[in-house]
Amino acid sequence: MSTSTVAELSTFQPSDYKSDLKPVWCAGCGDFGALASLHRAMAKLQLEPWNTVVVSGIGCSSRLPGYVETFGFNGVHGRALTLASGVKLARPELNVIAVGGDGDGIAIGGNHFLHAARRNLDIAYLMMDNEIYGLTKGQAAPTTPAGDKTKSTYWGNPEPSVDPCELAISFGATWVGRGFSGDPKTLVELMSRAIAHRGFAFLNVMSPCVTWRGDDQFKLLKAKLAFLPPDHDVTDRAAALRHTREKDVMTTGVLYEVRQPSLVERMEEVRNKAREVGEVASTAEILAAFAPAL
Amino acid sequence: MTMTTRDVTIAVFGSGGDGVVTLGDLLAQAAAREGLHVIKTEAYGPQIRGGESSCAVRVAAEKIFSPGDAVDVLVVFRWADFDRFRGEISVAPDALVLYESNEERPGAVRLGLAGDENLSWIPVPFDELSRASSGAPGSKNVVTLGILGELLGLPSETLKRALARRFGRKKASVLVANEHAFDAGLEFAASRNGALAAKRLEYAPAPPRLLLSGNEAVAIGALHAGCRFFAGYPITPSSEILHFLAEWMPRAGGTVLQTEDELAAIGAVIGGSFAGVKSMTATSGPGLSLMTEMLGLASMAEVPIVIVDVQRGGPSTGNPTKSEQSDLLQCLFGTHGDAPRVVLAGSDVEDCFHATVEAFNIAEEFQVPVLLLSDQAVGQRKETISAEALVHAVRDRITPTAKELEKYERYRDTPNGVSPMSIPGTKKGMYQTNGLEHDAEGRPSSNYLTHETMNAKRYRKMWPIRDRYHGFSRFGPPRADVGVLCWGSSKGPVQEAVAAANARGGNVAAFVPQMLYPFPKRDFEEFLSGVGDLLIVELSYTAQFYKYLRTFLDLPAGRTHVLKRSGGKDLTAAEVAVGIERARALPAREAVAV
Repeated sequence: MSTSTVAELSTFQPSDYKSDLKPVWCAGCGDFGALASLHRAMAKLQLEPWNTVVVSGIGCSSRLPGYVETFGFNGVHGRALTLASGVKLARPELNVIAVGGDGDGIAIGGNHFLHAARRNLDIAYLMMDNEIYGLTKGQAAPTTPAGDKTKSTYWGNPEPSVDPCELAISFGATWVGRGFSGDPKTLVELMSRAIAHRGFAFLNVMSPCVTWRGDDQFKLLKAKLAFLPPDHDVTDRAAALRHTREKDVMTTGVLYEVRQPSLVERMEEVRNKAREVGEVASTAEILAAFAPAL
Repeated sequence: MTMTTRDVTIAVFGSGGDGVVTLGDLLAQAAAREGLHVIKTEAYGPQIRGGESSCAVRVAAEKIFSPGDAVDVLVVFRWADFDRFRGEISVAPDALVLYESNEERPGAVRLGLAGDENLSWIPVPFDELSRASSGAPGSKNVVTLGILGELLGLPSETLKRALARRFGRKKASVLVANEHAFDAGLEFAASRNGALAAKRLEYAPAPPRLLLSGNEAVAIGALHAGCRFFAGYPITPSSEILHFLAEWMPRAGGTVLQTEDELAAIGAVIGGSFAGVKSMTATSGPGLSLMTEMLGLASMAEVPIVIVDVQRGGPSTGNPTKSEQSDLLQCLFGTHGDAPRVVLAGSDVEDCFHATVEAFNIAEEFQVPVLLLSDQAVGQRKETISAEALVHAVRDRITPTAKELEKYERYRDTPNGVSPMSIPGTKKGMYQTNGLEHDAEGRPSSNYLTHETMNAKRYRKMWPIRDRYHGFSRFGPPRADVGVLCWGSSKGPVQEAVAAANARGGNVAAFVPQMLYPFPKRDFEEFLSGVGDLLIVELSYTAQFYKYLRTFLDLPAGRTHVLKRSGGKDLTAAEVAVGIERARALPAREAVAV
């Protein structure tokens, strides 16, 4: 992680990470809370803005890179993690944060979620989960509860929903947490831990859509808000899974955290093995090694 | 009877497991080491193991440009396997036919010939010689190498050195068994009193030549250009680029990521380049179809990337192991919106190296995606080239100056459309890039004027690109009766056909653009002004190249001919020669119906 030296500590305030662009989000959107928490988490970690890249796909929450004063890439639908993979592998010293919604990450981009987690790519992936497609105005997402009426499920959603945290744990993410945009104190803590984690950190941020899920969403989620028991073992995968797919409660906190070699570390290992055989600095050296008969 | 030749094509047919491909490699390597010119191709069915398999090796004392029109030495382990390539092989009327003596000798028709009076049929007990010498039937290929050594007059030491290089790393008994098989073949040929010495190569040994495939040349070109990030998904016939870079990229300090699909591959490459590292992906038609959406992202966000498309037969899964030139329109026009890109094509192995470096130079200097078209015919063939030829100047992207960073605008409108690109880590160079239409600072905007201005900015780069990089090759006299226009791997057969026609007093020229878009219009029009009839040659059923040219150029009415067909077998100089004669003799017809 690229952070400032001790001498510069407290150089960056949350406002330093705030861009002058005004969010396009609806009044009351949960993403405002997520954005403010991200600004605070970045200040807490003293991330150097110019060494930080925030990438996204498409969706309401995918507009977020524009609202953060770092390098940003608002890409295409479902592919945030592919961009993040390239940025991080090409420049491992950069802080890379991928953001987006549940439709972007689980429907159209689901395959990349699986593989970024499996590879233990060293990034933080913050999923603003509103259980709906907001930008396209109210269709069912993979996270929309079964039976719910949306614009695309006129007779009620005929499909069961998924829990993104359960997926992340199964896919091999080494850090999995759930937060709530209505509980910024916990959320800042979770975001900063996710960003500081070495490996693939997945944070499901419950971020209500007041326009398409109803303006009582904050109240409903707040009523379900729960915290992990103090004896929760973050390295226990089975214990973590017990706090997914919950119906009447929404348990927030770090569900799962283990330390395993990250993709960046494994790629460095590959380069070390190759260096032992011999570095090649020029085309002439490659040819000499590739075709020794010449 | 011993006869000498300066140019011979050998083709071998068998089942997977017969080691046909290995035999081709060994022969090609030995000939390259002798300083001969070699082009080696392989063809097989879609089976992963087993099934029919073939290789063709053309060896010549002078430089050659195509895999050869007709087979002079035909080696057949099993006629049933040979039959699977029906319609794809031409056998020379005076060919030497070495066939497994267990099998019945077929009629000339099976070889696609009218009569067999000039053929030399030589039954060879491949199976028996293999079992007797090495104890197993699997050494037929090395027995054949021994026979071919005698037949072509290649030194045994050179052939054995190739064997040692191939098998030396396995346990000692493997090499010994293969050497026995080789000797058995050599002795068999020698015992035939010259019957097997009919195609002696007449050549002066020269320093070894570099034997490289088009795919390897692309990979080496990428490393040469400074590419240090590659992401790709396996697909025939481009995977050798991934394989080569998987080994060599880390030795050059870079990274290779095998992605979960082609969507991820192009995404990762855009990410890598955004982060400031030269990045490339390689694929074939189906993969390119998947990449098409993000090709537009690279256009819109002005991120330099290189995408290599090693074409195979399409549409859909098509003909994965065979060549075709039918991805052209997808490369030129694929993706929604008005999305600028540059399209280049490599025409032979050496050109694949140069075109790759050029692709990076253009991509980096002008911040556009560059598509590099290759195809199975050039990507997977191995060809001798001079290692000294692999030199090419490298250009880098333009980054903002300190003054420009005082008030940095990532997408500032400039006279040539190129705005300095800041890379992450640059303190005052932060910006947000976007697949959304955006203003000079990268902020999303749906305003009409912004869209019009930015489209113009992005397309304005095309003119300086064309002025600086108008790569093409030209053959033949400046004024000619017939001018041939082709692209990519069609160049070799066209070049040979043009040379042959001119040697017979014909008056033929050819123009082969390396840059397909933007098209080197001025150079082509200059060529066109000196030719009578124009013949367009391509391996696309619907003549995609012809159609593309018509969208940008006025082709001479009544004098434009098209020689086109599906891919699936390589173009030959003989086909082009027929096309040239027709263009000369017959009036041009409406070239393309569909």
